[in-house]
Amino acid sequence: MALGHGDYGDVLALQRTLHAKRCAGELGDLLLSVEHNPVFTLGRSGMHDHILVAEDTLKQQGIQIHEIERGGDITYHGPGQLVVYPIFDLRGFGKDIHRFIWSLEEAIIQTLSELGIGSARNDGFPGVWVGARKIASIGVYVKNWVTYHGLALNVDVNQAHFRMIRPCGLSIETVSLNDIRDLHMSVAEVGAIVVRQLGALLEKDIVTMDRKEVI
Amino acid sequence: MNADTIHIRMPDLGDVSKAVVVQWLHPIDAHLTEGDDLLEVETEKTTFVIPAPASGRLAAIHMPETTAVTTGQVLGEIEPQ
Repeated sequence: MALGHGDYGDVLALQRTLHAKRCAGELGDLLLSVEHNPVFTLGRSGMHDHILVAEDTLKQQGIQIHEIERGGDITYHGPGQLVVYPIFDLRGFGKDIHRFIWSLEEAIIQTLSELGIGSARNDGFPGVWVGARKIASIGVYVKNWVTYHGLALNVDVNQAHFRMIRPCGLSIETVSLNDIRDLHMSVAEVGAIVVRQLGALLEKDIVTMDRKEVI
Repeated sequence: MNADTIHIRMPDLGDVSKAVVVQWLHPIDAHLTEGDDLLEVETEKTTFVIPAPASGRLAAIHMPETTAVTTGQVLGEIEPQ
Protein backbone atom coordinates (compact mmCIF):
# COMPACT_ATOMS: atom_id res chain seq x y z
CA MET A 1 0.00 0.00 0.00
CA ALA A 2 1.73 3.19 -1.17
CA LEU A 3 0.72 6.15 1.00
CA GLY A 4 2.74 8.86 -0.82
CA HIS A 5 3.65 11.69 1.58
CA GLY A 6 2.49 11.07 5.14
CA ASP A 7 2.62 12.78 8.52
CA TYR A 8 4.51 10.55 10.97
CA GLY A 9 1.83 10.58 13.68
CA ASP A 10 -0.96 9.75 11.20
CA VAL A 11 0.98 6.85 9.71
CA LEU A 12 1.96 5.54 13.16
CA ALA A 13 -1.73 5.49 14.13
CA LEU A 14 -2.52 3.70 10.86
CA GLN A 15 0.21 1.11 11.58
CA ARG A 16 -1.23 0.43 15.03
CA THR A 17 -4.74 0.02 13.58
CA LEU A 18 -3.51 -2.33 10.85
CA HIS A 19 -1.39 -4.25 13.37
CA ALA A 20 -4.47 -4.87 15.54
CA LYS A 21 -6.46 -6.00 12.48
CA ARG A 22 -3.63 -8.29 11.36
CA CYS A 23 -3.42 -9.80 14.86
CA ALA A 24 -7.19 -10.39 14.77
CA GLY A 25 -6.86 -12.12 11.39
CA GLU A 26 -8.97 -9.45 9.66
CA LEU A 27 -6.21 -8.61 7.17
CA GLY A 28 -3.38 -10.41 5.39
CA ASP A 29 0.28 -9.35 5.52
CA LEU A 30 0.87 -5.78 4.37
CA LEU A 31 3.72 -3.54 3.27
CA LEU A 32 3.13 0.20 3.70
CA SER A 33 5.44 2.52 1.79
CA VAL A 34 5.56 6.19 2.66
CA GLU A 35 7.68 9.35 2.49
CA HIS A 36 7.40 11.25 5.78
CA ASN A 37 7.38 14.92 6.58
CA PRO A 38 10.56 15.79 8.58
CA VAL A 39 10.62 14.03 11.95
CA PHE A 40 13.09 12.70 14.52
CA THR A 41 11.96 9.47 16.15
CA LEU A 42 13.38 8.23 19.44
CA GLY A 43 13.24 4.49 20.15
CA ARG A 44 13.19 2.89 23.60
CA SER A 45 16.87 3.61 24.14
CA GLY A 46 16.70 7.01 22.44
CA MET A 47 18.18 10.01 24.22
CA HIS A 48 17.08 13.60 23.73
CA ASP A 49 20.69 14.79 24.02
CA HIS A 50 21.37 13.03 20.73
CA ILE A 51 19.47 15.94 19.16
CA LEU A 52 22.21 18.47 18.57
CA VAL A 53 20.17 21.61 17.88
CA ALA A 54 17.74 23.69 19.94
CA GLU A 55 14.03 22.92 19.92
CA ASP A 56 13.33 26.36 18.42
CA THR A 57 15.50 25.47 15.42
CA LEU A 58 13.49 22.29 14.91
CA LYS A 59 10.23 24.23 15.08
CA GLN A 60 11.50 26.81 12.57
CA GLN A 61 12.42 23.99 10.18
CA GLY A 62 9.13 22.18 10.73
CA ILE A 63 10.78 19.07 12.22
CA GLN A 64 8.66 17.07 14.69
CA ILE A 65 9.88 14.74 17.48
CA HIS A 66 8.13 11.45 18.28
CA GLU A 67 8.99 8.99 21.06
CA ILE A 68 8.04 5.51 19.91
CA GLU A 69 8.10 1.87 20.95
CA ARG A 70 10.57 0.41 18.46
CA GLY A 71 14.06 -0.59 19.49
CA GLY A 72 17.07 1.60 18.92
CA ASP A 73 18.02 5.21 19.49
CA ILE A 74 17.25 8.27 17.38
CA THR A 75 16.72 8.44 13.65
CA TYR A 76 15.47 10.89 11.06
CA HIS A 77 12.71 10.50 8.51
CA GLY A 78 11.89 13.09 5.88
CA PRO A 79 11.34 13.95 2.24
CA GLY A 80 13.54 11.97 -0.13
CA GLN A 81 13.59 8.92 2.12
CA LEU A 82 11.72 5.70 1.36
CA VAL A 83 10.12 4.17 4.46
CA VAL A 84 8.58 0.69 4.31
CA TYR A 85 6.55 -0.72 7.19
CA PRO A 86 5.80 -4.45 7.01
CA ILE A 87 2.72 -5.49 9.00
CA PHE A 88 3.77 -9.11 8.82
CA ASP A 89 2.79 -12.20 10.80
CA LEU A 90 6.03 -14.03 11.66
CA ARG A 91 4.06 -17.18 12.49
CA GLY A 92 3.94 -17.71 8.72
CA PHE A 93 7.73 -17.20 8.57
CA GLY A 94 8.94 -19.76 11.10
CA LYS A 95 8.81 -17.21 13.97
CA ASP A 96 12.33 -16.35 12.85
CA ILE A 97 13.18 -12.73 13.67
CA HIS A 98 16.77 -13.13 12.51
CA ARG A 99 15.64 -14.26 9.04
CA PHE A 100 13.05 -11.47 8.87
CA ILE A 101 15.59 -8.73 9.68
CA TRP A 102 18.08 -10.34 7.29
CA SER A 103 15.39 -10.21 4.58
CA LEU A 104 14.74 -6.49 5.12
CA GLU A 105 18.47 -5.79 4.84
CA GLU A 106 18.79 -8.06 1.82
CA ALA A 107 15.92 -6.30 0.00
CA ILE A 108 17.83 -3.01 0.35
CA ILE A 109 21.16 -4.57 -0.68
CA GLN A 110 19.57 -6.21 -3.75
CA THR A 111 17.76 -2.99 -4.72
CA LEU A 112 21.00 -1.01 -4.57
CA SER A 113 22.76 -3.75 -6.51
CA GLU A 114 20.15 -3.46 -9.29
CA LEU A 115 20.99 0.24 -9.41
CA GLY A 116 24.73 -0.44 -9.65
CA ILE A 117 25.58 0.39 -6.02
CA GLY A 118 27.47 -2.02 -3.80
CA SER A 119 26.35 -2.11 -0.15
CA ALA A 120 26.70 -4.41 2.83
CA ARG A 121 25.79 -5.21 6.41
CA ASN A 122 28.28 -4.02 9.01
CA ASP A 123 28.77 -6.34 12.01
CA GLY A 124 27.85 -4.60 15.23
CA PHE A 125 26.44 -1.58 13.42
CA PRO A 126 22.78 -2.01 12.40
CA GLY A 127 21.49 -1.00 8.98
CA VAL A 128 22.90 -1.11 5.46
CA TRP A 129 26.13 0.65 4.59
CA VAL A 130 27.91 1.91 1.49
CA GLY A 131 31.52 1.82 2.61
CA ALA A 132 31.68 3.72 5.92
CA ARG A 133 28.45 5.63 5.24
CA LYS A 134 25.01 4.50 6.33
CA ILE A 135 22.30 4.45 3.65
CA ALA A 136 19.47 2.58 5.40
CA SER A 137 18.16 1.99 8.92
CA ILE A 138 16.08 -0.83 10.35
CA GLY A 139 13.95 -0.94 13.51
CA VAL A 140 11.09 -3.36 14.08
CA TYR A 141 8.51 -3.91 16.82
CA VAL A 142 6.93 -7.36 17.27
CA LYS A 143 3.80 -7.94 19.29
CA ASN A 144 1.72 -11.14 19.06
CA TRP A 145 4.31 -12.23 16.45
CA VAL A 146 3.09 -9.46 14.11
CA THR A 147 5.59 -6.77 13.09
CA TYR A 148 5.34 -3.04 12.58
CA HIS A 149 7.83 -0.22 12.07
CA GLY A 150 10.42 -1.29 9.47
CA LEU A 151 13.10 0.14 7.18
CA ALA A 152 14.18 3.55 5.90
CA LEU A 153 16.33 3.99 2.79
CA ASN A 154 17.85 7.37 1.91
CA VAL A 155 17.09 8.15 -1.73
CA ASP A 156 17.66 11.90 -1.85
CA VAL A 157 17.58 13.20 1.73
CA ASN A 158 18.49 16.63 3.09
CA GLN A 159 21.75 15.67 4.84
CA ALA A 160 21.63 18.89 6.90
CA HIS A 161 18.71 17.37 8.82
CA PHE A 162 20.76 14.24 9.62
CA ARG A 163 23.57 16.44 10.94
CA MET A 164 21.16 17.77 13.60
CA ILE A 165 21.31 14.40 15.41
CA ARG A 166 23.67 11.60 16.33
CA PRO A 167 21.90 8.90 14.28
CA CYS A 168 21.39 5.75 16.38
CA GLY A 169 23.44 7.54 19.06
CA LEU A 170 26.57 7.19 16.91
CA SER A 171 28.86 9.66 15.22
CA ILE A 172 28.25 8.31 11.74
CA GLU A 173 27.97 9.76 8.30
CA THR A 174 24.83 9.06 6.31
CA VAL A 175 24.47 9.06 2.55
CA SER A 176 21.69 9.03 -0.06
CA LEU A 177 21.40 6.87 -3.15
CA ASN A 178 21.37 9.92 -5.44
CA ASP A 179 24.62 11.21 -3.84
CA ILE A 180 26.42 8.04 -4.89
CA ARG A 181 25.02 7.72 -8.39
CA ASP A 182 23.13 10.61 -9.91
CA LEU A 183 20.20 8.49 -11.07
CA HIS A 184 17.51 11.11 -10.35
CA MET A 185 15.30 8.36 -9.00
CA SER A 186 12.14 9.22 -7.09
CA VAL A 187 11.23 7.63 -3.78
CA ALA A 188 8.27 5.92 -5.51
CA GLU A 189 10.53 4.38 -8.19
CA VAL A 190 12.97 3.03 -5.61
CA GLY A 191 10.04 1.89 -3.46
CA ALA A 192 8.68 -0.25 -6.30
CA ILE A 193 12.00 -2.14 -6.49
CA VAL A 194 12.30 -2.59 -2.70
CA VAL A 195 8.73 -3.90 -2.48
CA ARG A 196 9.37 -6.36 -5.34
CA GLN A 197 12.54 -7.58 -3.62
CA LEU A 198 10.75 -7.89 -0.28
CA GLY A 199 7.95 -9.89 -1.87
CA ALA A 200 10.47 -12.43 -3.16
CA LEU A 201 12.42 -12.62 0.11
CA LEU A 202 9.33 -12.90 2.31
CA GLU A 203 7.84 -15.41 -0.16
CA LYS A 204 4.72 -13.33 -0.87
CA ASP A 205 2.94 -12.28 -4.06
CA ILE A 206 2.59 -8.50 -4.00
CA VAL A 207 -0.81 -6.95 -4.76
CA THR A 208 -0.93 -3.15 -4.86
CA MET A 209 -3.82 -1.61 -2.93
CA ASP A 210 -4.80 1.86 -1.82
CA ARG A 211 -5.74 2.91 1.71
CA LYS A 212 -9.51 2.79 1.07
CA GLU A 213 -9.33 -0.83 -0.04
CA VAL A 214 -7.57 -1.89 3.17
CA ILE A 215 -9.56 -0.06 5.89
CA MET B 1 11.91 -20.47 42.54
CA ASN B 2 8.50 -21.40 43.91
CA ALA B 3 7.11 -24.71 42.63
CA ASP B 4 3.56 -23.32 42.55
CA THR B 5 4.38 -20.46 40.23
CA ILE B 6 4.36 -20.36 36.45
CA HIS B 7 7.65 -19.47 34.82
CA ILE B 8 7.88 -16.62 32.32
CA ARG B 9 10.41 -17.91 29.81
CA MET B 10 12.40 -16.28 27.03
CA PRO B 11 10.80 -17.56 23.79
CA ASP B 12 12.70 -18.93 20.82
CA LEU B 13 13.01 -16.02 18.37
CA GLY B 14 14.89 -17.93 15.70
CA ASP B 15 18.61 -17.78 15.12
CA VAL B 16 19.21 -14.57 17.09
CA SER B 17 22.60 -14.02 18.67
CA LYS B 18 21.63 -12.20 21.87
CA ALA B 19 18.71 -10.43 23.52
CA VAL B 20 18.44 -7.89 26.31
CA VAL B 21 15.53 -7.09 28.64
CA VAL B 22 14.46 -3.53 27.81
CA GLN B 23 11.47 -2.93 30.03
CA TRP B 24 9.04 -4.72 32.36
CA LEU B 25 5.65 -3.20 31.59
CA HIS B 26 4.16 -4.13 34.99
CA PRO B 27 5.61 -3.82 38.52
CA ILE B 28 6.11 -6.69 40.93
CA ASP B 29 2.80 -7.80 42.56
CA ALA B 30 0.78 -6.48 39.58
CA HIS B 31 -2.29 -8.54 38.71
CA LEU B 32 -1.98 -9.86 35.17
CA THR B 33 -4.40 -11.41 32.72
CA GLU B 34 -3.06 -14.12 30.43
CA GLY B 35 -1.91 -12.48 27.19
CA ASP B 36 -1.23 -9.04 28.71
CA ASP B 37 1.88 -7.32 27.35
CA LEU B 38 4.36 -8.13 30.12
CA LEU B 39 7.89 -7.19 29.08
CA GLU B 40 9.95 -6.11 26.11
CA VAL B 41 13.22 -7.64 24.99
CA GLU B 42 15.44 -6.23 22.25
CA THR B 43 17.41 -8.22 19.72
CA GLU B 44 18.84 -7.50 16.28
CA LYS B 45 17.07 -4.16 15.74
CA THR B 46 13.82 -5.67 17.00
CA THR B 47 11.78 -5.00 20.09
CA PHE B 48 9.74 -8.10 20.99
CA VAL B 49 6.81 -8.04 23.42
CA ILE B 50 6.49 -11.11 25.65
CA PRO B 51 2.93 -11.71 26.86
CA ALA B 52 1.91 -12.98 30.30
CA PRO B 53 1.75 -16.80 30.04
CA ALA B 54 -1.00 -17.00 32.69
CA SER B 55 -3.34 -14.88 34.81
CA GLY B 56 -2.19 -14.06 38.31
CA ARG B 57 0.21 -11.99 40.36
CA LEU B 58 3.65 -11.05 39.05
CA ALA B 59 5.52 -12.76 41.88
CA ALA B 60 9.15 -12.39 40.79
CA ILE B 61 11.36 -10.65 38.25
CA HIS B 62 14.61 -12.59 37.82
CA MET B 63 15.97 -10.72 34.81
CA PRO B 64 15.78 -6.95 35.35
CA GLU B 65 16.14 -4.31 32.67
CA THR B 66 19.45 -4.29 30.70
CA THR B 67 20.11 -8.00 31.52
CA ALA B 68 21.20 -10.24 28.62
CA VAL B 69 18.97 -13.32 28.22
CA THR B 70 18.95 -16.53 26.21
CA THR B 71 16.23 -18.79 24.80
CA GLY B 72 14.35 -20.77 27.45
CA GLN B 73 15.74 -18.77 30.37
CA VAL B 74 13.31 -18.02 33.23
CA LEU B 75 12.71 -14.26 33.26
CA GLY B 76 10.19 -14.11 36.09
CA GLU B 77 7.33 -15.93 37.80
CA ILE B 78 3.55 -15.59 38.00
CA GLU B 79 1.56 -16.87 40.96
CA PRO B 80 -1.74 -18.10 39.47
CA GLN B 81 -4.92 -16.70 41.00
